[in-house]
Amino acid sequence: MTQVIEARGLKKSYRATRALEDVSFTVEAGRIVGLIGPNGAGKTTVLKAILGLTRFEGELRVLGRDPRSQRNELMHDVCFIADVAVLPRWLRVSQALDFVAGVHPRFDRARAEGFLRKTDIRMKSRVRELSKGMVTQLHLALILAIDARLLVLDEPTLGLDLLYRRQFYDTLLNDYFDKERTILVTTHQVEEIENLFTDVLFINHGRVVLESTVEGLAGRFVQLVATPEQAARARELQPLHEREVFGRIAMIFDGRPASDLASLGEIRTPSIADLFVAKMQGVAA
Amino acid sequence: MSTPTAVAPGDSASATSAGTASGLRLRMFSTLVRREFWEHRSLWMAPLAVAGLLLVCALPTHGAFQINLDDGVQWLDPGHKAILFALAQWGLSVPHYLVMIIVLNFYLLDCLYAERKDRSILFWKSLPVSDGATVASKLFVGLIVVPVGTFVIALVTNLLFTAIWNLRAVFGHSPELVLWDTVALLKVEILMLLGLVISILWYAPLVAALLLASAWARRNVLLWVTLVPLVAIIVERLAFGTHYVAGLLEYRMNGIWERLHIEAAVLGSMTSVGPSEVVSLPRVLDRINIGPAFTNIDLWLGLVVAGAFTYAAARIRRYRDDS
Repeated sequence: MTQVIEARGLKKSYRATRALEDVSFTVEAGRIVGLIGPNGAGKTTVLKAILGLTRFEGELRVLGRDPRSQRNELMHDVCFIADVAVLPRWLRVSQALDFVAGVHPRFDRARAEGFLRKTDIRMKSRVRELSKGMVTQLHLALILAIDARLLVLDEPTLGLDLLYRRQFYDTLLNDYFDKERTILVTTHQVEEIENLFTDVLFINHGRVVLESTVEGLAGRFVQLVATPEQAARARELQPLHEREVFGRIAMIFDGRPASDLASLGEIRTPSIADLFVAKMQGVAA
Repeated sequence: MSTPTAVAPGDSASATSAGTASGLRLRMFSTLVRREFWEHRSLWMAPLAVAGLLLVCALPTHGAFQINLDDGVQWLDPGHKAILFALAQWGLSVPHYLVMIIVLNFYLLDCLYAERKDRSILFWKSLPVSDGATVASKLFVGLIVVPVGTFVIALVTNLLFTAIWNLRAVFGHSPELVLWDTVALLKVEILMLLGLVISILWYAPLVAALLLASAWARRNVLLWVTLVPLVAIIVERLAFGTHYVAGLLEYRMNGIWERLHIEAAVLGSMTSVGPSEVVSLPRVLDRINIGPAFTNIDLWLGLVVAGAFTYAAARIRRYRDDS
C-alpha cells in the first residue's frame, strides 16, 4: 500500500465557523509533505482529523484505517508532536523513557538514550527544569525512537531559536526519514525548511488550493523579474501574482512555459514561500 | 519499517502472539498505574508521612509529651490489656484512612483535569493508549491500589508501633499497656479488610462520579462537585418540598453501614472486667455480620452506575476537542 493518507470531502464546522469546506488530498509513502496555510486556514483541523482527535464529515483513511473508529490501532503506526509545550512539567526524563517504553511496543529505548546523550539533558531532570529547546529535543528523542510509519508535526519548532530549529530538522532528516516513512509538517517558517519538502499542500479558507510535488512546482510555476516597462507586456499573459522588489516587478505565472517569458526579463524558479504568498494573496496584491 | 518476516501461520505462532499481546497489555497497564504515582506524589507520600508520624509518637519522648500511665495501669488486668490492644490496632488505623479519603478526593478531581490544564493531553494521546485504558488505570488507582495500599501500610505501622511499645516496656521505659493477642489482631484486621472491600464496592459510584467530573469540567472541578448537588438539593426543596437528592446522597454515604447493625453488636457485647462494665471488642467483632452488605442489591446497582460513569468519562476524553 503506497497511499498513507487518503482524504475525500472533509468537512468540519465549529459552531458558526466552517473550518473545512471540502478538503481532498492524498499523501503517498516516503514523502515529506508541507501542509501550509495562513492562520485559521484549517491546517490544525486537518491534522486533528488525521490523528482522530476531532469529529468531521467525509472520507478519510490513514494507513488504511479510519481515525474515527480505529484510533487505538492507528496510533501504533502514527506519531505526532503537537506543540512544544505539551510534555507535562512534572515528568522526569527517565520517567518519560519508562512510560513510552512501557506503552509502546515499537519504542527503541537505547535509540532514545543515544539521542539524549548528544544533548545536555540529564536523566533525573524534570521537564519544568529544561529550557524550551531542550523540551523539544526530549520530545523529538522520544518520537524518533518509535518505529512509526507516519509522523505528524504541527508547528514543532514554534518559539525555538534558529540553532534548535536547524538541529531539529537535521536530526529528523538524517536520523529518521527513509523511504518507508512519511512525514507531514505544518509550519509558519516555510522559508527555513522548504528544501525539506518533497510535496506541498496549500490550504486556505478550509480548501486545498494547491497540491503538488516539489518537482512538479518547478515545471508549473515560473517567476519573472521584469522592469516596469516589460511588466506591462507580461501582465497580458495573466500572472498569478505580482509584487514590486527594488523597483522591479516580480511576477509568478501558473502553467506558462518559461520560453514564452524569457524575452520579458529574468526567469527564476519561485521559492515555496513566494508561491505561498502568490496563492494566498492572488492578483489583488 | 522492515518487511514482514516469514511467520508461519499456525497454532503455535498465534498462541505465542496472543500470549505476548496480553503480556504487553499488562505491561502497559502497570506503566499507566506507575504514571499516576509519578504525577500525584501525595498518593504515596501522605500515607508514609502518617506512618512516620505515628511511629515517632511511639518512640520514647521527654517532657510535656511524656504520658505517665504508671498509676493507671495498675488496675488493668490481662483482659483489659487485650481489649486495649485490639482498640489500638483499630485506633491507629483511623488517621491512615482519614488522610486517604482527603488525598483520594483531590486525586480523583485532578487526575483527568490536570492533563487538560497543563496541555499535556496531546502528548499522552500521541501514544497507543486507549482512552478506556487511561481512565480505567485512574479508577484502578483510586478504587483499589490506594485503599489496599493504605490497608497494608496501616497494618505494618500497627505492628511496628506495637513492637516499639513492647520493646520500651521490656526495658522498663513505659508501662506495659497492651498485651499481644494474635487472635484479636487477626479479627480486627480481617474485619477492617472486609470493611475495606465493602467500602470499595459501595463507594465505587462516588469515585467514578468524581472521575467523570474531572473529565468533564472545564475549570473549578471542586466547585462543580460541591455546587451541583447543593443546588439540586435546594432547588428540589424549594420547587417540590421534597428531599430525594439529599436522601440519596446520604444513603450512598452511610446506607451500607446501617445494614451491618454495628450499634446492636456493640450494645450486646458489654462485659464486666473486674469492677467495671466495658464493651468487649473481641465480642463485638464476633457479632458483626458482614453478610447483609453483600446481599444488598443497591451495592451491585451502584457498581453498574460506577461503570456507566467511567464509560462516560472515557467517552468525554476520547471525543472532547478543546485542546
